Amino acid sequence: MTAVPSIACLGVIGKNVYTSSTIKNPLHISIFPSQPGNKPVRTPLQFSLILSSTLDIFEARSKANVSTGGGLSGDFGLLHAIDERLAAYGFETNTGVRFVAVVDMRGRIVGDEAARSQVTGLREGEMKLVFRAMQTAYVRLLQNPFYDPDEHSPPAGKGGKKITSRKFTEDMKRLGETWAPGLATL
Amino acid sequence: MASSKAARIGEEVWKSRVDKVNAELVTLTYGTIVAQLCKDYESDYIEVNKQLDKMGYNIGLRLIEDYLAKSNTMNRCSNFRETAEMIAKVGFKIFLNITPAVTNWTSDNKQFSLIFDENPLADFVELPDDGRAQDELWYSNIFCGVLRGALEMVQMQVEAHFISDVLRGNDSTEMRISLIRYIDDEMPVDDD
Repeated sequence: MTAVPSIACLGVIGKNVYTSSTIKNPLHISIFPSQPGNKPVRTPLQFSLILSSTLDIFEARSKANVSTGGGLSGDFGLLHAIDERLAAYGFETNTGVRFVAVVDMRGRIVGDEAARSQVTGLREGEMKLVFRAMQTAYVRLLQNPFYDPDEHSPPAGKGGKKITSRKFTEDMKRLGETWAPGLATL
Repeated sequence: MASSKAARIGEEVWKSRVDKVNAELVTLTYGTIVAQLCKDYESDYIEVNKQLDKMGYNIGLRLIEDYLAKSNTMNRCSNFRETAEMIAKVGFKIFLNITPAVTNWTSDNKQFSLIFDENPLADFVELPDDGRAQDELWYSNIFCGVLRGALEMVQMQVEAHFISDVLRGNDSTEMRISLIRYIDDEMPVDDD
């Protein structure tokens, strides 16, 4: 029996919700247990704090990116390794919306058979697929005429609502449950 | 036989005589109109349906001329069944590149259903979650008006309304169209 990485938490953070390094309200958080029936490795509050802590890193990195003139791809790669199990990866769109994926490095237990066909650990760029899928879901959300972006990320920065779209929530759920390292498509 | 002929005409016109436009432009434009109407009428969805139908009617009055010119069908449909085929396989095909299915005829051949298995207007849409929109709003109601307006210009008075919509959680999107009467051309008084 071997453990392969799985997604423990997916977060979407709108712009303007960033006040003194705590998230007032992230647009969306999905938390996944490593196996159906298991408890997630952290509580929702702890995940919320992990998401908050990534914001400073986003901030610092984007400043660094501006000065070096690179990093327009949006992929921030590994933001920080929280402990020996959890690691946070980030992506920022050009409009300032941030996607965070917290990966549980020993998340899913697979049989030896399956493990042999999979690479252990995570390779560089492996999370691109996840962020691409999150971005696609977010684009689809924005295309819904009844979704009002200003309501969720108000220019004043306070009182934004969470994403309530059923489709988007389902997309995140499917993404978190099906993703595994080495997948070519989702 | 008439059905395959209609499909052929639709395909041909769509390929050779229609200017194409980006689908998302259409979807977003229509979406904005509906969302704005909902705001303006303070979520009075019954009224929004009415307004959409009215807009459609005004589109239909103009669109029919373009349809007739493009489809090059100088002869009249011989019966209402043929009209239905032409609407589905030529009309919807050349303007939206979809062909809704024509079914559920009544025995007197005066009522039928159009079943839309795809609807470019409703891509990406999720109805507002206020407990009423799901029961009251017919998101694509503009289609009803378009058909009513267009057919009126060719001497057919019809009534059209949606009876189900996948946006509401139904299995299919179905529009019911009933022929009320053929409008007689009013003949000018003879001079002789």
